[in-house]
Order: sequence, then C-alpha cells, then structure tokens
Amino acid sequence: MYNNVIKHTGFAFFLLLFQLLVLNNINFFGYANPYIYILVILLLPYSTPRWAMLLIGFLLGLVVDYFSNTLGLHATATLVLSYLRPIILSQWRFKSVQDVRGTPNISNTSLEWFSLYITISVLIHHLILFFIETFTLNHLGLTLLRVIISSGLSVVTILIIELWRLRKKE
Amino acid sequence: MNSLLDLLKRLYNHLIFLVLLALSLSLYFKTSYYQKAKISVATRIITGTWYKQVSKVTDLFNLRRENAELLNENLELRNQIEGYKFMLRELVDTIVTQDDSLNFIEYISSNVINNSINSQHNFLILDVGENKGVKSGMGVVSNNGVVGVVASVSSHYSSVISLLNTDLQISAMHKKSGAFGSLSWDGANYRKVILNEIPLHINISKGDTIVSSGYSAIFPKDIPIGKVVDFHSKDGSFLAITVELFADFKTISKVYVIRSRVKEEIDSLQQNVD
Repeated sequence: MYNNVIKHTGFAFFLLLFQLLVLNNINFFGYANPYIYILVILLLPYSTPRWAMLLIGFLLGLVVDYFSNTLGLHATATLVLSYLRPIILSQWRFKSVQDVRGTPNISNTSLEWFSLYITISVLIHHLILFFIETFTLNHLGLTLLRVIISSGLSVVTILIIELWRLRKKE
Repeated sequence: MNSLLDLLKRLYNHLIFLVLLALSLSLYFKTSYYQKAKISVATRIITGTWYKQVSKVTDLFNLRRENAELLNENLELRNQIEGYKFMLRELVDTIVTQDDSLNFIEYISSNVINNSINSQHNFLILDVGENKGVKSGMGVVSNNGVVGVVASVSSHYSSVISLLNTDLQISAMHKKSGAFGSLSWDGANYRKVILNEIPLHINISKGDTIVSSGYSAIFPKDIPIGKVVDFHSKDGSFLAITVELFADFKTISKVYVIRSRVKEEIDSLQQNVD
C-alpha cells in the first residue's frame, strides 16, 4: 500500500516535471498545448476518499499554476475534474474491475475503456481550462478548436505514456 | 442538530469542493498582475537555473530560424536606412536650395568713390575689395540697374568696368519676348547703350524693358537695364536697339557687387572644359 503511494507520488513528480519543463513549452500550432499532468488524478486508486482527491486535485493545479503564472486557473480545472472523477467512474465503470484498491489503468481494464475514460476526463478538464482562461464566448470557435486540438494531443500523449508503462511492467 | 450533522456528513465532499472552487476561482480572477508578476519572480528563482540550461539547448535549435529572422530584420533596417537617407538627402537639398536661393545672389554694398563717364573706357572705383570678398568678374548693379563688371581688385578697393565702356559686352534680354543679344556702349551718349543681335522677327516696340538675360551668370536674370527708345535693322538680319539706361551714371554713388554662386560654379566648369 505505502509502496504504491510512493510509486504514485514519484510518478506524479515525473509527470509534473515533464508537463512544466517540456510540454508547457511546446505550444503546438501556436494555440494548443497538451496537459498530461491530470493523469495524476486520473490514476488515483478507486478507493481514494473524495476529500483527499479534491485536495490533491486542487494542490496539483496550484503547483502547475505557480509555474505557469496562472494562479487559480489550473487549480479550478483540476479541482472540477477530481470532483467529477467518481461520477465519471460510476457512469463508465469497467464491469470486470473487482479490486477497488487498484487504480484504473490499461492492464486491469481494456484499451478501449481506458481511452474513453481518458478522453472524457481530458475533454472536461480542457473545456474548463480554456474557457476560464479566455473567459469569453466571443471566440467560441477558436476556443473549441484549441480544446479539441489540445485534448487530442493530451489523450495521445497520455496513452503513449500508459502504453510505455504497461510494456515496462510486462 | 443530528440531522444537520448528517447533512454535513453527506455533503462535506461537495462543501469542500465548493470552498476550494471558490478559492481557486477567486485566486484566478482576483490575483492582480502585480501579484502574478511577484509569483513569476519567485518561480524564476526556483526554476531559473533549469530554464537557463533548457534555453541554452533550445537556443541552439532556434539558431537557424533566429539567423533568418535577424537577416530579415537586417534587410528591413537597411531598407529603412536607405529610405531615411533618401529623406535626409531631400531635406538637405531643400535646405541647401533655400540656402542657395538666399545666397544665390549675395549683395556687397559699396560706395562709388571714383567715376567717369566721359571716356570711351570708363571705370568706377568702389570702396570694397578683397576684404569684403569682391573678386574680378563680379557684376555690379545699382538700384536702377546694371552698372558694370569688376575688373580688378585690391585689398580694399576694386575697379569696375562701367557699362559705359566700349570694351564691355553683357548679355541682355528683351523682357517681353525673351530674345537676347549682347549689350554694349557705342561710346556716344552716356545715357544710351546699344543692344545688338536681336533677330528681326522679334516684335519690339518703344518703351519695352531690357533686362539682364542671366546667361552670362555675371548678373542674375531680370536685372533691369533700360528701355527701348529706338531700333532699326542692321546687317539685314538683326536689330540694333538703342536702349536708354535706367541708371544715371553721372550721379551714381551707391552700388552693389553681386557675388553669385552660380557664376563661381559655371566658371569652374568652363575652366574644366578649357
């Protein structure tokens, strides 16, 4: 159990560093950025208490904000995501998952389910993130385009990371 | 009370969410740019070293693009410089032209200290010389028109070939038609000079004004000389016009030496040709 916590924390740090030092500087096509640090929230064990999840989401967002000069922006998006995660999971819970102490990943679900889970979560997070950032509906099309491109990039990057982790495990 | 606690128990996750949401949103919308800037400064302290190293690497990748950008910028700046050069040249030209038009004719005022009208080769002596910048070849006029041309200069005095000198020929023009010929004194009447070489077909009538032509560059254009009092054909193809001078050489006392930049330039050009 504690071993898992340390592992997860270490992975969270890796994701954060990767996000802050590499991905935040990418800026695809001038207005799209993959945000993969939310994987920290998405990979929390099913049994994580909700208040803990909320706090982790909030703090995670704050750290990203702190390094992106957007205090409160990512915190809001990650907070909402971590609030909605149990609802998402209850709606699309993979049928065969028995061990509630485990974490949602490809190996104990399926690639299709995991991809869906990731895509829905990323879309929710990115929608909140980009719309709070612009805070206007004036450039709705452009904002939606940014959401879609960034989401696509995020989902692909997350899946690559997860598949790479899966292969390493095997 | 129990039911309230139950409610809190059931809802505390949502309450936590709402509190944190309010906190994060207020952080985002209430944080002033000043605070954000301060945070970014703190960030730089923490991550500055790392970012410096990263930028060292990324700078390398960007070198080619930056080079191209710099080249473009250089080109643009060069073009701008050329544009400014052109503008500057135009400005300088304007200034110089204005300067020229101001100094195109520089008058050196002087008094006539000696004058003669009764010789065939009359001269005037002026009380200005090299000290005032007078040089031989400069034109001399009075308020009433052309007087003569400086012949020789000493340090404080200059001698002027009077228009009433049969050796002097100046270029003059019939003002109305623009036809020009050479003006000289025939040595007879000190009030009258002869304008030769005006073609027969030019319509001349008595009273027409004769001015300097400006072709000789000794005198600027349109300096009055006199008016037509008589004309007759000479040698079958030219008119000989008798011109009564505006200037009364007998009473002349105040004259101006004309220092013409154009003349200096033309002279140097002619010297080159010679």
